[in-house]
Amino acid sequence: MASLKPGEANLGTTIMAVEFDGGVVIGADTRTTTGSYIANRVTDKLTEVHDRIYCCRSGSAADTQAVADIVHYYCQMYSVQNGEAPSVKVAAAMFQQLCYTNKDALMAGIIVAGWDKYNAGSVYSISLGGSMHRQGFAIGGSGSTYIYGYCDATYRDGMTVDECLQFTKSAIALAMARDGSSGGCIRLAVITQEGVRRIFVPGNELPTFFEG
Amino acid sequence: MEYNGGSVVAMKGKNCVAVAADRRFGVQFLTVSTDFQKTFKVHDKLFYGLAGLGTDVQTLSEKFRMKTNLYKLREERPIEPRTFAHLVSSTLYEKRFGPYFAEPVVAGLDKNNEPFVCSMDLIGCINFAKDFVVAGTAGPNLYGMCESLWREDLEPEELFEITSQALLNAVDRDCISGWGAVVHIITPDKIITRTLKGRMD
Repeated sequence: MASLKPGEANLGTTIMAVEFDGGVVIGADTRTTTGSYIANRVTDKLTEVHDRIYCCRSGSAADTQAVADIVHYYCQMYSVQNGEAPSVKVAAAMFQQLCYTNKDALMAGIIVAGWDKYNAGSVYSISLGGSMHRQGFAIGGSGSTYIYGYCDATYRDGMTVDECLQFTKSAIALAMARDGSSGGCIRLAVITQEGVRRIFVPGNELPTFFEG
Repeated sequence: MEYNGGSVVAMKGKNCVAVAADRRFGVQFLTVSTDFQKTFKVHDKLFYGLAGLGTDVQTLSEKFRMKTNLYKLREERPIEPRTFAHLVSSTLYEKRFGPYFAEPVVAGLDKNNEPFVCSMDLIGCINFAKDFVVAGTAGPNLYGMCESLWREDLEPEELFEITSQALLNAVDRDCISGWGAVVHIITPDKIITRTLKGRMD
């Protein structure tokens, strides 16, 4: 499996996606690093691949941008050729194909989430090796290791949109406090049948917890 | 030097000096503690800061405490900043081929209350500066901030502002420094110590 080359930009990251009845909530921090230098402190890691399908990118910035661009292209071709939007599962399978086949060259941990008319909200997590897992909620990136316990303890099936937003915001804020590669602000998006609503949470409005 | 993270800065003012450091202690990208001490007092007119490997910061601070206590007992006077700087330099050079992974900054007022700052590399090469000195993982960032913000003859309160802003904004561009800061201003009459809450990410 590949690793970051010296000097390569790294989306250290904490990314997260949660399903709810009617759609998904996705979120990410905003830090990009080269080594320990913070190259971009307001990065947008939530990338559109189709009208109601987004991906959360972690790992190599270049690799994930390139893969997301290709999947964006494939989704456009799909919708033209099939006369309807691809389902989230199809978009996730496109990511899986690229990540699995090129696993030796890529370092990309991606969460695909969105709304489609057949399955409503869905979240798919694609690991470094290219395996795809549908989950009620998914967390990824280096910062996710610090919040597995918090997420397992807090998540419930059937949360409302606002509960999902609060859950995502708090989890990412906790990861940002402990992980050096995650930080800055939080970007969130709510994807439903109506469309995509983006929310920006600046650094001074993050939920606060025990700070030792 | 990039294992635990951390940065320190010292600046000269008008009849005063400032020493500041962040408070993070981590293991690579994991932050373990937000109250790790990197600035140390020798006496009322002399401070130093140590950036680098956490264990060496602690061991060196204890070594210097012992050496300066013995100095005071023998000389019957507190140690001058310039002399202390040379003491630090010798202590580091003793380990030339198996060094302590720490870079010190020294700041104080000499017996005539003249401000003094200097920094060293990990094997004791002293850099006597007339304005400011930096060390640690956000060192390059601190150089940029200090070069822009520092000017001559800053009064104690102004020096505090300049030092704080230089440190806070430099560490905000470094993943492994930050999580709070502590600033000491040393004047002939008193020491003002303030703890700053910065970005905790």
